[in-house]
Amino acid sequence: MSYLDLPLSQIHISLVQKKVTPLDLTQEALTRAKASQDNAFEYIAENEALAFASALLEPEEDNLLWGIPYAAKDNLSTKGIPTTASSNSLNGYVPSFDATVIARLKEKKAVLIGKTTLDELAMGGSGTTGHKGATFNPYDQSHQRMIGGSSCGSAAVVASGIVPFALGSDTGDSIRKPAGYSGIIGVKPTWGRISRFGLFPFAPSMDHVGYFTRHAEDLPILFEALAGPDPKDLTCSSLPVQNFDGDKTFRIIVLDDVMASLPSGVIRDAFEGSLEKLEVRGCEIVHLEFGLDLLKAIYPTYIILSSAEASSNDANIDGLKFGPYHAGESYQEAMAKARSNGFSELIRRRFAIGSFALSEENRETMFVRAQRIRSMIVERVNEVLQKGDFIYLPTASSIAPLFSDALERLPKDPLPVNHHLILGNFAGLPSINMPLGYERGMPFGATLMGHAFQEGPLFAACSLLEDITGLGGAYFGEKD
Amino acid sequence: MELEAVIGLEIHVQTKTRSKMFSSAPNAFGGLPNTQVGLFDVAFPGTMPSVNKEAVVHALRLANALHMQIDPLVRFDRKNYFYPDLPKGFQITQQFHPLGKDGYLDVETGDNNTRRILIQRLHMEEDTCKQTHFSDYTLLDYNRAGIPLLEVVTEPMISSGQEAMAFVEALRRAVTFMGISDGKMEEGSLRCDVNVSLREKGEACFGPKVEIKNLNSIRSVGLAIDFEIKRQTELLENGKPITQETRRYDERSGETVWMRDKENEVDYHYLPEPNIPPIRLSEAFIRQAIDSCPESYEGKKRRYLDMGISRLDAEALLSDAALSSYFDKANQDPSCVLHLIHLLLGEVLAYLNAQEVGISSFSLSPDTLFQLAKKRNEGFTHQQVVDLFDYCLDHSGEPVDHAVQILGLVPPSLDVDSARLIASQTISDNPQSVLDYRQGKDRAFGFLVGQALKRAKGRVDPSVLAKVMAELLKKG
Repeated sequence: MSYLDLPLSQIHISLVQKKVTPLDLTQEALTRAKASQDNAFEYIAENEALAFASALLEPEEDNLLWGIPYAAKDNLSTKGIPTTASSNSLNGYVPSFDATVIARLKEKKAVLIGKTTLDELAMGGSGTTGHKGATFNPYDQSHQRMIGGSSCGSAAVVASGIVPFALGSDTGDSIRKPAGYSGIIGVKPTWGRISRFGLFPFAPSMDHVGYFTRHAEDLPILFEALAGPDPKDLTCSSLPVQNFDGDKTFRIIVLDDVMASLPSGVIRDAFEGSLEKLEVRGCEIVHLEFGLDLLKAIYPTYIILSSAEASSNDANIDGLKFGPYHAGESYQEAMAKARSNGFSELIRRRFAIGSFALSEENRETMFVRAQRIRSMIVERVNEVLQKGDFIYLPTASSIAPLFSDALERLPKDPLPVNHHLILGNFAGLPSINMPLGYERGMPFGATLMGHAFQEGPLFAACSLLEDITGLGGAYFGEKD
Repeated sequence: MELEAVIGLEIHVQTKTRSKMFSSAPNAFGGLPNTQVGLFDVAFPGTMPSVNKEAVVHALRLANALHMQIDPLVRFDRKNYFYPDLPKGFQITQQFHPLGKDGYLDVETGDNNTRRILIQRLHMEEDTCKQTHFSDYTLLDYNRAGIPLLEVVTEPMISSGQEAMAFVEALRRAVTFMGISDGKMEEGSLRCDVNVSLREKGEACFGPKVEIKNLNSIRSVGLAIDFEIKRQTELLENGKPITQETRRYDERSGETVWMRDKENEVDYHYLPEPNIPPIRLSEAFIRQAIDSCPESYEGKKRRYLDMGISRLDAEALLSDAALSSYFDKANQDPSCVLHLIHLLLGEVLAYLNAQEVGISSFSLSPDTLFQLAKKRNEGFTHQQVVDLFDYCLDHSGEPVDHAVQILGLVPPSLDVDSARLIASQTISDNPQSVLDYRQGKDRAFGFLVGQALKRAKGRVDPSVLAKVMAELLKKG
């Protein structure tokens, strides 16, 4: 048992009692990082982390993040540390500023040990499309199963116990899905809760900065450090972060038409088992239908809106200001070369879809229509949430897929159970994956989605669920 | 067939604010290239926009001055296209919800006529980088990237180059007097694109629209339109079609030159700006912005005329916002306003023209000029005040009263008795001239007054002396 494996509050006590130092923790995290075979790091910030940790001598008693090593997804801007978003188009780019979340953790004296891999520019759900190739699921040492994306690296480093927590980003399900496939907690807060300043945008109206951890009790600690207003992000809310110490008996909404698309098997059994246990603990289960038409519209709507926003956000990457420069006879040629050499085919396809949807002839029938459908879906989610404290559903229909089964192609008939997480991005609602169990040694999870700006009760529900599953702190390779 | 021109204008005004539209980098003209640049202006990944309140205030004031309907919910959109001068690959603008809608501006179209030009929209947006092209490379200056712009779009209803020039001039005056912009076309702080089409007189539909860019002065606006009307007329008269296209005005040849066809027009893939939530302006904020607005051109003109200033002088004062604001500061006593104007439009402008500088670089303070004008009320002659003016220019900062002492000036006496004495002495010394006068030679009167003034050595007021002289001569 290492100090790194403990909940933050316990690591903190050991640090305050000087049983262990930030440098010890950092060295151990770095050792684990270098031993990892999961292709989870873009950059291990060994020298930077050692220098930072060495300077931490006097423990700060009130600061639970003092001296805690962590990792950040490589689409968060880090001053002086390369940040590529796993894209060749940004090779060699070293930002001159910190993202707000990085700056806040630096202020808290948490130690950044490295930048983690992602699907290129955070667009993708497989963890296979970054310029360093696939990131592996630590639970499958044969390297045949994905961990999911796009925050694949951050999920892998927390799921394999390298660091107690890591930062990620979530536009469709990019934190929660890999968290589900790797048996850890993945948090997407309310939109506007955590500053996005310094997050490389994918689709800002749906982008969120969030985090991974292994202990439900760490959730509010990290949330308090990261959340709150930021003058650098106009969309960041000034609503105060509130602690929750209310009753832990919840009204839990289960969407039956989502559940209908979940095949019977271990996951369904585990999920239904958890419902029974929650009832035993005094929770009330409310069964509702969301509406199949709207559920089926989620994925195409998401693809159109996110691709449209992406085509605009990444237009700044043209090789003229940062990233590799490609000489050409004309500016058109220079830009075209930078973009066609810099982006993989998958990314270019998304841009093409986005551009197509926004073009003058298609704008009304594709983009504007998708916006309208998004509004309808959001309206329905909020209506459903009036019936309870949160919506509770399995995170995905299966354990992590095999690489050989997964193609980054649009599914012909998307299963609602595989796309309901997007509801949280459309409506900006807080949404958290909790580990639920294992099938053939591979983890799976369930997701709780609550009311806007009500993270507190959701964290309490997570603790309750952790209590029920007994999976708090679990990671691959842990030693008792 | 009789043709008529239909012209619409799109005018971009750079607003004078401390910082840029969406970043905190400074907004100032003339800095070394790439020294006034924020992270957002270079579009580093992850940077996000803020909104410049001062620019919103300027926009509200202009919208109000143009009698527009103001949308209190401020929303921004992205206009997407690739170009080296566009760091983000999109420009943040207000395509779908402009701040101002449906306004007008009355312009003077010559022969004391005015015409009401309707204005479609006014919106806020940001400027692009400045490009400087060389034979095999291009330099980019990001100082200009992100400077706040106000775009004003007229209805297509202007009918001639003359009228277009009058509109641009009227808008230039509006923005310079309200302190919104320098309004300098030659420095690019005011830019004008023109749309010209022709149609048969009386027809309701429009002909194919030709857009003209690269107009660097108000004069060019007029010349380019005149040329374009002539070009299109000739095409039509020769039975040739007009194509919808974009042309550039070439100042040297005075002609418009083809740039691109409609097929090559850019599709801007408009998208709501997701990083700026809609901002609702309170009624109080809008009120305050408008109420605290510096006086408009029209307002000032009315005030000047009410003060008894002639239309000609009022227009001369208003020819330059800085000149009129100098005048307003110097105008501290209504009883000597005409003396003040006399000095300002005469001596001061002559001096500035000779020095080839503007009023903003004038060394005498408005208060000093007022003190000088006041000397006229105290009985000093215009020439004496001019002498004082010259002295003060050479000794800037010295009080006017000190200059009076140094130059040993005393105001000429208004005393009729001493005038009478000098006049009668002059009459006795110049019998021949008196005789000439009596024989009807008017010139002799002037000669006698001149002689008397010489004798008076500036101690007697010329008008008093002339009056007394006339009386004495009549008495015989």
